[in-house]
Amino acid sequence: MSLLNSQTGPLIQVNNLSKSFGDHLALDNVSFNIEKGQPIALVGPNGAGKTTLFSLLCGYLLPSSGSITIAGFKTGDANLFGRLAALPQDAQFDPRFSIAEQLTFYAQLQGFSRKKAIKEAQRTLELVGLADTFNAKPDELSHGMRKRVAIAQALIGSPDIVMLDEATAGLDPINAREVRELVASLSSEITFILSSHDLSELERLCSQVLYLEKGQLQQHQNLQSEEEQRYLTIRMRQSYDDFLSLVGSIANVQHIEQTQSNEFLITSSAISLESEPLDLQILQLCHKQQWQYSQLTNGKTLENRLF
Amino acid sequence: MLNIHRLSILTQFELNRIFKTKNGLIALTAFCAVWFVLLYYVISSATDIVFSDTFKVAASTLFGSLGLSALLKWPVAEFSIYWLVAVYSFPIFTLLVTSDQTCSDRARGTLRFITLRATRSEILLGRFLGQFLILVSLILLTLLACVALAVARDGALLFPAIKQAAVLFVELSIIILPFIALMSFFNSILSSAKMSIVAGILFYTLGALLIGFIQFQLNSGLFLNFIFPGTQISRVVSLETLDFYHYLIPLFQTVVLLFVADKLLKRASI
Repeated sequence: MSLLNSQTGPLIQVNNLSKSFGDHLALDNVSFNIEKGQPIALVGPNGAGKTTLFSLLCGYLLPSSGSITIAGFKTGDANLFGRLAALPQDAQFDPRFSIAEQLTFYAQLQGFSRKKAIKEAQRTLELVGLADTFNAKPDELSHGMRKRVAIAQALIGSPDIVMLDEATAGLDPINAREVRELVASLSSEITFILSSHDLSELERLCSQVLYLEKGQLQQHQNLQSEEEQRYLTIRMRQSYDDFLSLVGSIANVQHIEQTQSNEFLITSSAISLESEPLDLQILQLCHKQQWQYSQLTNGKTLENRLF
Repeated sequence: MLNIHRLSILTQFELNRIFKTKNGLIALTAFCAVWFVLLYYVISSATDIVFSDTFKVAASTLFGSLGLSALLKWPVAEFSIYWLVAVYSFPIFTLLVTSDQTCSDRARGTLRFITLRATRSEILLGRFLGQFLILVSLILLTLLACVALAVARDGALLFPAIKQAAVLFVELSIIILPFIALMSFFNSILSSAKMSIVAGILFYTLGALLIGFIQFQLNSGLFLNFIFPGTQISRVVSLETLDFYHYLIPLFQTVVLLFVADKLLKRASI
């Protein structure tokens, strides 16, 4: 039985968490709860405290003050072994052992017999598309391949929570997409917590966002909230002089603003069941005016929400 | 609470490090080569000299002045010389071989993968036990080689040699324990094997000076020497008047060092 099935309350509970390194306060009184479900994004500029928060959640660091409970247990508790997995940033495999030996070792630590551990190592490597590197040494692999192997180690067994710190950083676009697809395909069984600087990636995968800045939690948003239904974001292929005025004149449009070059955020007024949906009205207008658009999104982009 | 399954997996993996990796096998080959030279050229030759009629009186005087007369009475002469070499070389060898228990993995980040699957106490103890098993395997190897050397000289020495080897195996195994634990301790606070070795050297040099100074100032304080692993060696080397007390010192040092290392590793950032 999954650990999470047997626990009530939030999956992760963080209360008044602070972490200092000497005089530097890396994390300042952060509190939040995370429920089991869709992937959660951890966003923030460099030095915001994302990796520190990851390290605290994984038990690599001890907090200066505050508390963390994961599925009702303190970090580092043996009950979390095999249930909480992570791709720690910059962690490397032991160069003296093959990938097979190391993944098998980790699976054995999680309780697999040697025979089953070998099969589990093969299974997770297949998940990340690296089945043929089973007997390779870490030094024989590229940076991107090593990162995918590190993702494979995080998927050993049946973890309930997987934390991926900059999982796609340094990967080529094809492999980055494969990692995203892997996360999406497993997100019904595993609660992923992802940190990345690629906001479009997080937007595609995540339903919640934690935004850190200067060690403080600035925002904790649900990307699928009802409030979001009031917004449309449209990106045009080129600039059209009368776009703002014509779209702004649609009855259901309460407000329109340009957020980036050729990108507009449209706020609808209260939706009437009798009127035609706003997105259809906008598409009809585009067709009528022969305007070319590249993307129409329900809600704000993550970038517009955060900055 | 320690989990025996995880502890045994961690210990086995340490054994793989020496017996299944290229670097480990190279180190093992180097160890065997050194001991071949020691056994063939030092122990065998010294045995012939010390126990020859020509040098018997001189050897008796020399060993007597060092308080080692009992060694000359051992039935298998090779083991007298082997013991004198092993009792001082294995502790130094232990410090070198066990200098990297957790620090490389910590610096590389590999420990981050492992701590999600085993407690820090299990990692510390698993690696300590792994290093201990590696070293007792090597001790056993040298003892068997020494038995072979004695038997090659005189076939009738087989059973006395095995009996003597068993005694020395236990003695050496106990002697090396606190040295491994000392390196476990340094590994819990330092970030590299080299630094651990340097710390070990400073511990035995500056530490001895400091304690000497304290003893001089206090006109007592002999008990302070008990912080040094191996402090009992000079008293047990003759293997003449051994009592439980002589085993208690290294065992107590081992427990204390592992306890402190465990506390430090639990608080360490990895």
